[in-house]
Amino acid sequence: MAKTNFWNGSEKYLCDPELAQAFHMARTLGMPLLIEGEPGTGKTELPLQYASDMKLDLHVYPVGSKSNVEQFVAKFDHVKYLRDSQIEVLNSQRVEKGLDSTLSTAGRSTENLDDYIVMGPAAKAYSSIHSVLLIDEIDKAPREFPNDLLYALSHRKFILPESGKEIQISEEDMPAIVITSNREQELPTAFKGRCIYHYIQFPEPEIMSQIVHKHYPESDEEIVQVAIDIFYHLRRLGLERAPSTRELLNWLKYVQTFSKKEALERINNLAGIGALIKTQSDLEKVQRLLFDGSKDDYGRRSNAN
Amino acid sequence: MFPSLPSILRSYGVPADIRTLLLLRKAMEKGLVKTLGDIYLVLKSIVVKDPSQQGPFTMAYYAYFLQIDIQSGETLDDAIQRSVTFKKWKEKLLSDHPDKHYDLSALINQFLDEIHLTSYDIKKIIDGKDILAEDDPDQLDIGDANNGNSNARRYLDKAADYTGVDLEEILRRMERVRKQQSSRHGGGSHWIGTGGISPYGHGGAAKGGVRVGGSGGGRMARKVFDNPRYFPIDLQSTLRDDNIDAALASLKGVVEDSAETKLDVDKTIKDGLKRGGLYLPEMKDIHTEKMQIILLIDNGGYSMDGHIGIVTELFKKMKTRFAHDLKVFYFHNTIYNVVYSDARRSKAIPIKHITDLNKNYKLFIVGDAAMAPYELNRNSVNHWLKLKEKFRKIAWLNPDAEKYWSRTQTTVYLSQMFDMYTLSPKGIETAVRTMNRKTNEMY
Repeated sequence: MAKTNFWNGSEKYLCDPELAQAFHMARTLGMPLLIEGEPGTGKTELPLQYASDMKLDLHVYPVGSKSNVEQFVAKFDHVKYLRDSQIEVLNSQRVEKGLDSTLSTAGRSTENLDDYIVMGPAAKAYSSIHSVLLIDEIDKAPREFPNDLLYALSHRKFILPESGKEIQISEEDMPAIVITSNREQELPTAFKGRCIYHYIQFPEPEIMSQIVHKHYPESDEEIVQVAIDIFYHLRRLGLERAPSTRELLNWLKYVQTFSKKEALERINNLAGIGALIKTQSDLEKVQRLLFDGSKDDYGRRSNAN
Repeated sequence: MFPSLPSILRSYGVPADIRTLLLLRKAMEKGLVKTLGDIYLVLKSIVVKDPSQQGPFTMAYYAYFLQIDIQSGETLDDAIQRSVTFKKWKEKLLSDHPDKHYDLSALINQFLDEIHLTSYDIKKIIDGKDILAEDDPDQLDIGDANNGNSNARRYLDKAADYTGVDLEEILRRMERVRKQQSSRHGGGSHWIGTGGISPYGHGGAAKGGVRVGGSGGGRMARKVFDNPRYFPIDLQSTLRDDNIDAALASLKGVVEDSAETKLDVDKTIKDGLKRGGLYLPEMKDIHTEKMQIILLIDNGGYSMDGHIGIVTELFKKMKTRFAHDLKVFYFHNTIYNVVYSDARRSKAIPIKHITDLNKNYKLFIVGDAAMAPYELNRNSVNHWLKLKEKFRKIAWLNPDAEKYWSRTQTTVYLSQMFDMYTLSPKGIETAVRTMNRKTNEMY
């Protein structure tokens, strides 16, 4: 189990109580926490903020379509090993010919296989105590990757390739492991079974205003309220891609560069809406629903302007 | 401990087995479970692996631990109101505080608060204990006055004491309470009724905990029942707007990509010879089969109208997400010498154009296969056979439910020729799985 004290956010990060509880549970049981949820709801932020708040080592493995378990744990650099062993042959030939200059192996010795092992984030995390290991966006991985991870995660032990060296850690010192997923690909059932699962709810408006204040402590209450109102209104329109927390924060960053009066005006006119709406068809839908319908609140205000 | 729990969970469609119990027990050993609310949280994290399982899980939890049977479509509040558990709890509460008046929604809120009281809520009280102790106790009483006059200091001690009780004792107690709960309702230290819902006792930490910590659990449970997203989508039903994502998820399975590199033996030897026997390994990417799809859609005729939009949308989404090679063609009822590249069937493409494509294309045919028998003449059948011969992987997706297939002669005939599946997320998944299996057998 990693550090098991209950952690529920820091000054900069408002952790949803349910997420904090699931995270605590995962650490106590020594299981990875698998977080799913809409993009932009702070899945990746949790381990980052936790590590920086608790001052723990953080190891991140961003998963991509080319990920494999070797990169994640450790791999043996065969190329370098072969190069160095060839260099030995070359050097002895040079000595025979009476040449002084020799090629260097930068202190690596082919006798010592550990010199050629490139440690991945997992091996690093398991070699330091109480660290935090983030496996980001596992749904981007090739299909076999989660299953390969299973073995690595269910034991607290890695055997390094070629050298056979073991990296092992006790249950008390285990890293806190957080895995995030955007649900673009269904993860194998067996994999999910090894994890504590948490689905992040989209925050309620009240929570949202708290989140905004964590990010922009000096922001004006009225601006934030009006922006949040519109934000949730947009989310209810049933867009192809509903705006998320991250996008609201970006939008607020933009409108806050103006004076209060101007900012409110801009919010009501949906100025800079490109920060919130990301597809053409959604943009058209918003225009149609909010500006053409004169009965609608926002439309009327914008016409008056 | 709770031996019948896994089977109950499974009966609600939530996967659970003996490992669930073992994990639950481990959680108890680690001190994560002390109240009924904790069980909800811990079990949820253990068994729920998808948002759509949260609804069924919550139903199973209420049925198993509280004997509250929630009918589908019913709100949580209604189910609680008509349950015996709630009635008894209410009687007890009212007899304890005969001088007070409660309205029903406040009662239900309190009931939910007590069920979902977790040790996290209690922990907050214990954490705040020192601060409270330094305060003037009279002030505490004033703050608590409208809530049964319970002494803050007393329940804090009680809560703190309870953490010392060992695991076996807690387990015994939970099991006993559960059994009593399902059989009769009497005296003793119950969760529901006399003892209050938490083992800490009614009117004790429960109230304080809720007041201090807020009641996430109860509100969460309610939200679950308000939101269809927390219930599974009917995978057997025909493809519609709301289950298109589920279908997409099953289509994703077709993608085979791998990103490994392997030693390029030829290049290594060649370059090594050039270097005079100094062999440096050369790597190359393993090229895997790219996903190539041909989609043949029957968009003629009234019976297919409703499905075309959905099907094109599905494959379009798939294309944007995976950037595949996707070719879409249209036909009416059956194929003769041409297919069409546009939905209005104005641009004819000779069928040869398709059969000349690489045989690695996966062919999805979408159509009801229902037509007048004379339409499926020898010429047409030959074209179908040619397609079948050419492409190794073909799936026919039929928007009609399977039970109707036998009613049309041509459908029966074509379903014998091709693997036919229903145009539902489930059907697509099966089709994709079969396609993938064939791939594996061939290599």
